Order: sequence, then structure tokens, then C-alpha cells
Amino acid sequence: MKRPGCIRKRAGLAGMLLPLVTWAADPRFPQPQFESGHTLPQTPHPAFVEQVPAWMDVLLLALALGIAVWLVRRLRSRRGVLLFSLLCLGWFGFVRRGCVCPVGAVQNVAEAMWNGGGLPWFVAAIFVLPLFATLLYGRVFCGAVCPLGALQDLFIIRPQRVPRAVDAVLRLVPLGVLALGVVAAVNGAGYLICQWDPFVGLFRRSAPMTVMLTGMAVLFVGMVVARPYCRYFCPYGVLLEFCAGLAWRPVTIPSRTCVNCRLCVGTCPVGAVTAPREVTSGAERKRLFRRFVTLAVLMPLGVLLCASTGWLTGAWVARAHPAVRMAEVLATVPQEAADQHPELEAFRRGGASRDEAEAYAAEAVRRFRAGGAGAGVFVGVVMGLRLLGMTRLRRRPLHEADRMRCVACGRCWDACPLNRSVAGTSGSTSDGPSVG
Amino acid sequence: MNEKEGQEVTRRNALAWLLRVGAGAAITAAAVQATRRASGKRTVWQIDPRKCIQCGRCETECVLHPSAVKCVHGYAMCGYCKLCFGYFQPDAARLDEAAENQICPTGAIRRQFIESPYFEYHIDEARCTGCALCVKGCTHFGNGALYLQIRHDRCVGCNACRIAEACPAQAIMRVSADTPYLLKEKLGPSGPKESDG
Repeated sequence: MKRPGCIRKRAGLAGMLLPLVTWAADPRFPQPQFESGHTLPQTPHPAFVEQVPAWMDVLLLALALGIAVWLVRRLRSRRGVLLFSLLCLGWFGFVRRGCVCPVGAVQNVAEAMWNGGGLPWFVAAIFVLPLFATLLYGRVFCGAVCPLGALQDLFIIRPQRVPRAVDAVLRLVPLGVLALGVVAAVNGAGYLICQWDPFVGLFRRSAPMTVMLTGMAVLFVGMVVARPYCRYFCPYGVLLEFCAGLAWRPVTIPSRTCVNCRLCVGTCPVGAVTAPREVTSGAERKRLFRRFVTLAVLMPLGVLLCASTGWLTGAWVARAHPAVRMAEVLATVPQEAADQHPELEAFRRGGASRDEAEAYAAEAVRRFRAGGAGAGVFVGVVMGLRLLGMTRLRRRPLHEADRMRCVACGRCWDACPLNRSVAGTSGSTSDGPSVG
Repeated sequence: MNEKEGQEVTRRNALAWLLRVGAGAAITAAAVQATRRASGKRTVWQIDPRKCIQCGRCETECVLHPSAVKCVHGYAMCGYCKLCFGYFQPDAARLDEAAENQICPTGAIRRQFIESPYFEYHIDEARCTGCALCVKGCTHFGNGALYLQIRHDRCVGCNACRIAEACPAQAIMRVSADTPYLLKEKLGPSGPKESDG
């Protein structure tokens, strides 16, 4: 609304008198007066065409989540989940080319929250819907809807168990990615989570060679380490894991009470099937309590360690910020090599002094260090809580799916004899026994 | 397991519900907070030709190969020069259409005689890679009628535009999808900056 007024005020008289003449400054070469009556052609500008309206995208995501819940809770069929995830891989991945996806939307939401709003409603909806679904029914989004997950699921050939200690350490990575991605997005250094997405290039079938190769390498690793991106990188997975921890009806292995036949053990590619655990003895409990106290005392130290690591990492992440990049080029590149560094040209045109540019960069680095420290605190606290949680051993009588790790791929259902008999008696459309 | 759940209203159960509802409320609050004062309009990425310094990163940084950025010709600004700095190499031996004289590495500019001494230049977008060599020549020595624009028949509308992140001059911004181009011939030379939309 304000814009036309602004133009008139700034351009002053010229703008009022010459509303049609468009280039106010004198051109170097006068425009020709054609004697042959030649008319100026018009460059055609293809309009922006919304291939799929925003509400449709949101509706389809909601629908997909609904179908995923039905597949996971009612049909309980591995084949069903697999086929539906292929459909979603095709649509959300290769047709919609994976943008905007809930994983990347984390940054949009964080940036908009920090900068006082302005986020289009459909991006917020795409961010929120899978979280709500997870809060109710566990990580059905990961198993049946997410195109990144579906792609990796196809490459699971010979999944190996990741050693517990290695797994625990690697599982800290997504926390760091989430925290640093948010810090970068909030401070105007671009969307690192999107830059680090290894598969979006495959979906667009066009990407720099490094991205393509990384994507293929991740898929290759995924043959033996199932879903490496989901488990050890995905920042949205962190939020989904939190939600799954609170899920109302999380994913279960049998549809009825487990009989501890142990047939499901070893079917889970992501190591989410947990064996029963007996009541701990008195001595054991005492030992665990001592460990709990020790960890609780050491936790602030751990958090402090993580915070200082984050503070150090902050300066590294800050290099994604344009002001920091500019200052770096100013400091390191000699004048002769200016051709290769357009930052110098941009700096020259910007009209700022060298000191101003350096001060601006230092300010950005300071914000990133603070943000990095905050990110470190987040990682440290979650790590501490996970460690403390390991000392609290509740009795677990039956085989269960670890609700935080389970991505609802459904491989265990095929192995579970209870599911088979359910399918047999009710005569449902579920696929028969197919233990592979 | 399912039968057991939900029936017993234990303290644990109530706490779980409290946390669940709390988490749901927090997610909703975050979404509401983020969507405050949203204009409701779709936005698309576009290059502000007034800020562009023709560094050539549009050609290499776009997620698409070839890039979604193309050179466009604002005919209304063009001087129809016989010696076009957007068409000829700086050290062109002769002012003719021979390939070695052209600045465009893909030969995407077509030169057409109109009347003495005027020539018209047309961009073949299918060949253009958005390298900005012609734009640089025209901007530095000519009228600046050639400039770069993101073409919306090609742009996939990434969540975060890669060239916007790589642009040293921060010339790429979001504009309203209703007016998805920043046409140089319609903008003032130093007009008001478009706000993020």
C-alpha cells in the first residue's frame, strides 16, 4: 500500500512528470528514432504458475499422514507401508521436488519466530502436521510419508547393528544439526539444513556433483547402516523423537498382547525392538542410583563442555554469513586477485569502510558464538537427560518397539505371528505371511 | 497392550496427557507466532538488477543446471548500437556475427539489422546459461539494457535460494508472485528498495 507513495516521494518531480519514461538517468547512447517504423519488441516474461496450490499441498500432506496412520495402526502391513511410501517418494520427492518439506520448514519457522512473524500459513502447516501426527501415533511420518526416509528405506539390504556406544555418540549429531541450523537461519546465514540435504538433488535430478555424490554415498552406506540420514543427521527427526516419546498410541509390534516369541528380534533395521527386562535386584538398583547421582553431579560440567564446543563451532558456522565472508575476503585476498572474488566488487559498491565491514562481521561472529553456545547447552542437556534416563530401568515384561527410534517401517509386523493370525481370522486385505 | 492403555487413569497416565497437550500447545504456539503478520501472498525469488554486480555466480550456484537465471533484454533501454558491448568481445577483430567476435560463450544472442546504423539483439533463452558476460559488457559500457532475471518457467522455488545465499551483492530477494519480475526498464535507476514480501 505504501509503495507507490514512496516511489513518488523519492523520485520527486521526475516521477510525476514522466510516469511512462522508465529510465530516469540519461542513457549513454540515445535511443534510436526509427525511420522505418520499427516497433520495439517485448521480451516475454513467463508468469509464476503455481503447479499445485498451497492448500492442496497441505491437504495432501494431511491426507498422506492419515493414510499412514491407517496403514500403521489398522492394516499393519509392511507391504502397504512400503507401497505407500513409494507413492509419497514419487509425489513429495520427484514431482514436488521436496521443497518446502517439514525438515527444512524448521528453519522457516525459527526465522519467522525470531523476526516477528511473516511466515506463509502453509509452511507453518507443513511443519506442524507431522509433529501432531507423531504426538498421537508415533513416527508414522518417517516410515510412510517422508520421501527422504522412503528413498533410504529402499536401499536397506543388509542392515547391521550399530554398536551401542557408537550409536549413542552419532545420535548427538542431529541435535547439533538442528541447533546450528536454527542459529544460522535466525542470524541470516542461509538455510544450512537445506544445503546439507543429500537427497534433494536427486529429487530435482539436477545438482552440483558434490551434492549428488554425497547423496549416493549416503544411500550406499545405507545398505548396511539402515537409514543413516534419518538416524544420525535429520534435524526434524529430533523434534519427531521428542513428540514420539509423548505419543498417545505409539507404534506397536503385535496388534495384541505380545507373547514374547522373539520372532521380531533382528527384523528391525534401526534397532528399535527392545527385549524384555527383568526387575533389577536391590544391589543393582543401588549401583544405578549411585550412577544417577554421579551423572547428575557431572551434568553441569558436560553441559559446560558442550556449550564451549558450541562457542567454538559458532565462529565456523558464522562463515556462512555474508558479512563474515566479505570480511574474510577483505582480509585475505590481495588486490590482484580481485577478479576471482566478486565480494570485493560488492564491497566497493556498498560504500562502507573497511572498519565498518570488519565491525559488522565481528558482530555477526559474536552472535554466532552466542548462538553456538546456546546450541551447545541444548545438545548437552539432551545428552545429559539421555544418560540419566539410562539409569532408570523400569521393568519391561514384553518385546516392545522403542517409540523414539521406531520409524514405523513395519518389518517387524511380518515376523510377528500374532499379526499373521489376525490377518487370517478377520480375512482382511493384509498381505499374508512373507517372512523374508 | 492396547487394551491396558487408556483404561487405567493412573498418575503416570495423567502426567503423560499433560505433557502431550503441553507439547501440542507449544507447537501450535510456535506456528501461530511464526505466522503473525503474514501477508498471505505467495512470494518468489527474483534478482534486483540494480544491485547485481554480474559476478557470474547465478550460472554456477543455482540448483538447476543450466541455471534458472537468464539474461533478458529491456528493449526500451537499448541503444541499438552497432558496436554492442554485450555482443562483441572487447577485442573483436571485426564487427560481424562470427563466433570468435561474440562475447556470449553459447551464442545465445542473435544480432539483427534494423536500419542504418541500428541493430537489434535478441536473447535465445534456451541457450542462455546466465553467465552474465553480456550483462557485464552492457552495464559497464552501454545502456545496461541487458540484465539477469530468474525465469519462473524454470525456477523450482527452493525454500532457500542457493544463488541468494551465494550472491556477494545480496541482489536476490523475495517478491510478490503477482509481479514476479524486477524489470530494469520499469524500475528507477535507484528507486526504492523492494521490501521482502
